[in-house]
Amino acid sequence: MIAIYLVAALAVFAAIRATVEKNTGRKLPYVNVMNFAIAGTIVLLLNHPLALVAAAAYFVGSTLEANAIASTYAGGEQRG
Amino acid sequence: MLGELFHILAAAIISWILFVTVDIFFRLPEAGGVSGASAIARDIEAGGGALSGGTMMGNIVCSPDASAGTLLAACGVYVAGIPGGLVAAALVFIGNRICHDPGYAGTTGAVLATFVVYGFTQVGFAATDFIAGMVIAILTIQGLSHAHASRLLARLWRVRE
Repeated sequence: MIAIYLVAALAVFAAIRATVEKNTGRKLPYVNVMNFAIAGTIVLLLNHPLALVAAAAYFVGSTLEANAIASTYAGGEQRG
Repeated sequence: MLGELFHILAAAIISWILFVTVDIFFRLPEAGGVSGASAIARDIEAGGGALSGGTMMGNIVCSPDASAGTLLAACGVYVAGIPGGLVAAALVFIGNRICHDPGYAGTTGAVLATFVVYGFTQVGFAATDFIAGMVIAILTIQGLSHAHASRLLARLWRVRE
């Protein structure tokens, strides 16, 4: 029972740290922790096999977003 | 209540060892898988951290690695036992391909974690302990002090080399 409150609290903590951090490169690892915590919260809230698919879809989607933000921040793909 | 907290802390330590070992075995600190991972590594180094540790942290951000595999495998074991964990491993594999990650750290981590988590559920642990434990484990790497975490990972990477 304590697990879900702990995980939700860590999501809030990570979100606050991501908001306070100004440097984009160092902001993304905090967002990553928040994504882990939210994916965990989804499954802890909904104990159903489809909750796993929802958590994985959320996690992979948010990771791809972080990947895109980081790669754009790095200068993006060099074309031509 | 105190027993559950103790279980979560023990699960955090087990998950930490599992995912760091798998990630370092798959050489995540060696090079950024995408340009974004290298950019995160440079910023962490500029903040007083180590480059190879930062590269591993950047790779964790940019693609589901063994830490994500461990989290989703624990989720899978919680909702559907060992088959759930193996479905989670398949989802991580798809996630790796979506994120242009050529490696197998995430998939391997998820399969290993499925059996580790299932094993511990046979000796009094709950799968939920591992979900919360894995969130604590990733917090210690990505969410507390990037400089200290990257230096620790760099030290472990030198041992691997």
